[in-house]
Amino acid sequence: MNMPKIDLKELEKQKKENFRQRLEFNKKYVEWLKKTSNKEWSKQQKELID
Amino acid sequence: MDFIYNKDFIEIKDKKLSKLDKFVFDFIKLIEKNVKYVIISGYVAILFGRNRSSEDVDIFIEKINFKKFETIWKKISKDFECINTSYVKNAYDNYLSKGLALRFAKKNTFIPNIEIKFPKVDLDVWTLSECQKVIINNKILYISPLELEIPYKLFLGSEKDIEDAVHLYNLFKEHLNMKIFTEFNRKLKTHELFNKYIK
Repeated sequence: MNMPKIDLKELEKQKKENFRQRLEFNKKYVEWLKKTSNKEWSKQQKELID
Repeated sequence: MDFIYNKDFIEIKDKKLSKLDKFVFDFIKLIEKNVKYVIISGYVAILFGRNRSSEDVDIFIEKINFKKFETIWKKISKDFECINTSYVKNAYDNYLSKGLALRFAKKNTFIPNIEIKFPKVDLDVWTLSECQKVIINNKILYISPLELEIPYKLFLGSEKDIEDAVHLYNLFKEHLNMKIFTEFNRKLKTHELFNKYIK
């Protein structure tokens, strides 16, 4: 099996970019939370966590 | 946990599927015939019994052209909607093609969601080409090879990631290809973390 080339700098850059995208998603998620009824958001959260 | 682990697949029978499992299977059913994919990151540990949930499931799909993506988009849109954009051309040109992820949730929901992206670096391409077949209750999923998944989790380095790595290693240590595993630990410089938390 051939091993892939690994560029740690590139991976660190990717890790930062993924984190940035997650933060962006969190912002969207909070926007969605604010406009969604308690009944609805908590139902989705309950389904996810239970 | 009873499982079969051989060079071709890992199989688990009689798993009581969680809502997250069902959510993932629902999505995979819509894309599996049209595109090669691999599930990476947190869900891999959850699939194998790690006791936590996740609001997103990360998937690489092979690089495909717009026409093929449009076909998949139509299929996905039967049950899911894209959180980033409602327009397929925008999704392809301004997200996937630029290396950004697209998130899909079941219609009228926000969480959980599936994050799909094209492989970007060599390692991503390798993950897709060497993906590991998993059979759960006769249904097939493709996941990141565990010899990479575990060191990569250590590389990511949060407490949650390290716990995922410990869980997977303890569960499958007798079955891992240690040559490849050690090589990834070396390349990702995760040896020390491995010795500290797992060995």
